[in-house]
Amino acid sequence: MESFFTRYRNLVVLLALLTVQIIGLAVQVRRTAEGRSTANTQDAAGVRLIRLWAQGLVSPPEKAAHYITTSITGGWQNYIDLRHVREQNAQLKEQVDRLRLAQASLLEDARQGERLQAMLDFQHRYIYSTLPAQAIGSSGNVQSHVFYLDKGSNAGLKPDMAVITAEGIVGKVRDVFPNTAQVLMINDQTSGAGVILESTRIRGILTGNASGQLEIVGILADERIKPGERVLTAGGDLVYPRGLPVGVVDKVVRDPDRDAFIDVMVKPYAGLDRLDEVLVITSTQPRFSAQDQHDIATSEAVKGEEAQAIKDQLKASEIMAEHLPGLIDPGLPADKQPLLDDSNPNPVSHPPQPLHPDRFTPGSNDAATQGTSTGQTPPQAEGASKLALKPPAKTQPKPGAAPAPASTGTQKDQ
Amino acid sequence: MAVLGSTMYLETRRYPKILYLVVPLAALVLQAWLPRVLGQYAWFDLPLIVTVYFALGRRSPIQGTFMGAIMGLFEDALTHRPLGINGIAKTAVGFLAASVGVRIAVENQTIRLLLNFLLSLLSSAIVVFIYRILLGLDLKWQWLTELYSAIGNSLIAMVLFPVLDRLQVRD
Repeated sequence: MESFFTRYRNLVVLLALLTVQIIGLAVQVRRTAEGRSTANTQDAAGVRLIRLWAQGLVSPPEKAAHYITTSITGGWQNYIDLRHVREQNAQLKEQVDRLRLAQASLLEDARQGERLQAMLDFQHRYIYSTLPAQAIGSSGNVQSHVFYLDKGSNAGLKPDMAVITAEGIVGKVRDVFPNTAQVLMINDQTSGAGVILESTRIRGILTGNASGQLEIVGILADERIKPGERVLTAGGDLVYPRGLPVGVVDKVVRDPDRDAFIDVMVKPYAGLDRLDEVLVITSTQPRFSAQDQHDIATSEAVKGEEAQAIKDQLKASEIMAEHLPGLIDPGLPADKQPLLDDSNPNPVSHPPQPLHPDRFTPGSNDAATQGTSTGQTPPQAEGASKLALKPPAKTQPKPGAAPAPASTGTQKDQ
Repeated sequence: MAVLGSTMYLETRRYPKILYLVVPLAALVLQAWLPRVLGQYAWFDLPLIVTVYFALGRRSPIQGTFMGAIMGLFEDALTHRPLGINGIAKTAVGFLAASVGVRIAVENQTIRLLLNFLLSLLSSAIVVFIYRILLGLDLKWQWLTELYSAIGNSLIAMVLFPVLDRLQVRD
């Protein structure tokens, strides 16, 4: 027995190590109710410990490398450029970033307001508190699109917090260590985010493909989806707040597995390949500053004054309407109606009276009154002016009645 | 053939002990840090190259196996994937590289380049096998990227191996 292990000790060691790792893998993967395999989203304590060791080993040199490179490049640029201008520029950039976030949120809110004709409690949405962080390293594996931040649980980071840049969303915090945090990027195959196409309002799930490109899957073929359309977060995944920019539609391809479905390739706004500074959304709860509270109170007060002014104007116009004369007063005889008032600078013009009453004059023609034809054709010009005075009810046939035969007048003459 | 030889006549290389710690650690750190600089063009696997180098140089399958297992597990620990996928792949690669090193004189640059290329592809194949067959996970794969990585590993090995050769302890 001893000679067997001595002779095949290389193979024995190999098989032992492989067996241990295979058993370890089996523990980390579980079967879903649908019968598919999936990796555990939450690491077991032992696995987490190994990850912590690896991070503890790798992150200090990474931080040092990051610090050295940023110090060298930053120091050089500070000496070359005007320092105060750079600082001011950085402040302005931060301000622009905040305003872009606010703008994106408000735009989405406004669009929904147009559709629903209601903007209720908009001040209670999209007020975030964010924490800036630096990307210090990656997984180094093309099949795992994750990167590490230089802040962890000590800075208040927690799993499932959204990570964004001023341009768009980046990913979510997957795992948190004391001084670092692992971020799962949106272009990873295991990632998923609810998104919506801005103009067509089609919803889908954003994920990554094998080459690290973004694609929206699970969409039925739709000709309205065109390249260039903006993609926003839909807000239903409990990670990314609604209305954040994601990217633009790059192209639409058929789903190779399902005929009726398409894959929408998305070009991300955020530069996912070379991330440096990111923002972690640490809270989506409303938190108004003192200035915000003051602004809201002022806005409410101004809105109330304007509403009161409009109400007063409406009341005054109603009072005026009561005191002004109407065109027809039912309490007055016909000759006393305001329309006949001579004091009116613009009196109503009546049609001229005929000089010589004829059979077309109202009340002078029994046949016309009875609705029958006389068989005589009046002069064209004179008849036209008199027809205007004729009561219309007696010249037009009843609705639904059969048209009179052309020989009716002839028969009458006979 | 000149490259073939008996185990007894092939030199077993020795290195300063600190090198066994510094070089793998540097490989892990650079593998995690360089993709941030190079973006999507980071077509290399430095832990694999280091595993192959020490396995070939030491000519000990057991040492190569352990080296591959440790490097692979640490690589896995930096990802969000289950631990052991790269561990198994690099364990096998370390064992095979050392087994080849026992039988072949691997100082020849062409052989090193070829070995790195083949072992890189083998590592990728094992990873795919583990993902899809062993674990049944749904994973999309691009072999072109793996081919680029294999080429990148071979080119880096051509530069790195002579540098590391200079650090070995000579009697």
